[in-house]
Amino acid sequence: MRGPFRPRPLRHARLQAVLAIAAMAAAVSLPVVLVSVGGGVEDHELTAIENSGYQIVVSAGGEHGIEHSHALAATIDRVTGVAEASPVLSIAIDAFPSGGSASPVLAEGVIPDAFSATLGPTESDLFPNPLPLGDPSDTVHFANGSYAGPATDDVLVSSPYAASAHLTVGATLDLGPTASQSQASPYTITGIFGVPKTILGPVGAFALVLPLSDLQVMCGYASGNGTVVPDASDTIQVAVSGAISVDPAKLSAVESAIQSQVPYYQVTSLTQEAAQLEAADSVLTGFYLALSSVGLVVGLLFLALVLLRRIEADRRSIGIRRALGLSRGSIAMSVVVDGLVLAAAGAVAGLLGGYAVVAALAADATGTVQEAASLAVFDPRLLGGIVAAVLVLSIVASLVAARSALRIEVAEALR
Amino acid sequence: MNGLRPPRIELRSVVRTYAAGGADEVRALQGIDLTFAPGEFVSVEGPSGCGKTTLLNLLGLLDAPTSGELTWDGRPVGDRPERVRARLRLEGVGFIFQRFYLLPTLTAAENVELPMRARRLPRADRRARADALLAEVGLAGRARAYPHQLSGGEEQRVAVARALGNRPGLLLADEPTGELDTANSRAILDLLERVRAARDATLLVVTHNPEVAARAGRHLEMRDGRVVRDVAEA
Repeated sequence: MRGPFRPRPLRHARLQAVLAIAAMAAAVSLPVVLVSVGGGVEDHELTAIENSGYQIVVSAGGEHGIEHSHALAATIDRVTGVAEASPVLSIAIDAFPSGGSASPVLAEGVIPDAFSATLGPTESDLFPNPLPLGDPSDTVHFANGSYAGPATDDVLVSSPYAASAHLTVGATLDLGPTASQSQASPYTITGIFGVPKTILGPVGAFALVLPLSDLQVMCGYASGNGTVVPDASDTIQVAVSGAISVDPAKLSAVESAIQSQVPYYQVTSLTQEAAQLEAADSVLTGFYLALSSVGLVVGLLFLALVLLRRIEADRRSIGIRRALGLSRGSIAMSVVVDGLVLAAAGAVAGLLGGYAVVAALAADATGTVQEAASLAVFDPRLLGGIVAAVLVLSIVASLVAARSALRIEVAEALR
Repeated sequence: MNGLRPPRIELRSVVRTYAAGGADEVRALQGIDLTFAPGEFVSVEGPSGCGKTTLLNLLGLLDAPTSGELTWDGRPVGDRPERVRARLRLEGVGFIFQRFYLLPTLTAAENVELPMRARRLPRADRRARADALLAEVGLAGRARAYPHQLSGGEEQRVAVARALGNRPGLLLADEPTGELDTANSRAILDLLERVRAARDATLLVVTHNPEVAARAGRHLEMRDGRVVRDVAEA
């Protein structure tokens, strides 16, 4: 509509158009947000796997299910092709900074040298090298399972936690298995490590690294004190030698060799984990798209209703055009073009809106939501596919409306 | 690009029934036999509901007979598919309505260009032709005005220009002066007569106005769906 004066019905038509565009924008922005954030998290996880310094993981069902970790790591070390086996025990404990309040932290018990050898290129930059934990091989305190040797009582603190609790190298930090400080023992902070970008949120980045044997003793996973899982760890992370990591056949052979040593544990390669992760993520993407299709159906229904309403309001105009000799095809085409223009405007608005929502979440949200949003990836092909699907479906919705336009009796419309 | 030359139009036993077979069946035309020669100026008179508009719609191929035959130059056209009738309408018929029926979202020039666009006339050609037609109807300076910015007389002149866009051989006007004052009515009729004479077009005007009817060379009077009087002036 042009000209200095806008008749009222046309203002209504404009309002209808705005509403239709808004509905389509909402329908498009939902999959944009879900798929871009979901895809970003998936990419991040896959990248983390690809950049990992270890390639094979030995694990057991249940909590802290690997027994005799020191011995088992030594056994795996002897398998041909294995560069390093690193047992890791992860467990939440409580930390009591002097003058501060107690807070739960994620503690990782490791054999320092083995742990360093299985860090990926990204992670190794985050840790001091070598790890300043006093007993590099964790043999002095462990003492072949007696735990009779002197403990180093050294601990490394993550930079977010150090910043939060005002901790510095050389300070003392009491650590205990429960929130009761009476069970806690003093540790000396011998280093601070950085944390990779995670989706766990800032609290998840409150972490400590300490000798495996220290953590086992602290949490009762040491032998000789009646625990069910002696010398426990969650996993043993295995780094392979040289080019084996990029040779699937050789990697599989190493995996089989390890499996034969530990038939009661699960041995998986990160390649398998990545494949499992991708399969799980594709299911999740399908779920996102199914969820989005509900919004899309609503948007398309709204578009069709707006077009039908317009046709009803334009009965006379359509009748005039038909009376002048315009073909049914050109009338239908004008309805479809109308619908396509609205849908395209909605799709563009939806793309921009979805991007704005993700950017806002990445900037202003907190915790996991903020972390996930900051990892979002806007894949042009996927977004293009979403827009193309929306446009194709809008043609279908427009054709439904066009059918109604073609049913208008010319003579009746002109009465 | 010219329109179809004025055809010789014949209606033989044409019946048009609405809601046929139903309780509210209406027999709008009850066996009409008429012939229109090219270049005729025919007035159609009669009371409301006598079938004048239905006759006009049939002649303009907006509607199809329930039975009987409608031919242009001997070729049956009344029962052709809508696609064909739309093409014939586009190329051969110019409609002028009582309420003008200009499209409110288009300027005067765009309204005039509309049928030419449908015939895919090049943009420059249809621009030039629309300007010429608007000048012919005395609206040379109003090409960019929207219908709501025009007076009733100006709107009807734009409608006449639009009807002439594809140079049709058949001009159908349904109460073309029904909403105009005397001066504008006279101007429109002068214009229609001039166009008819210049192009040898057939002009059918449905009217209640005796002054309008008096300008025609042939007079039809209808009652209850039948032609009760058909008089040609010498």
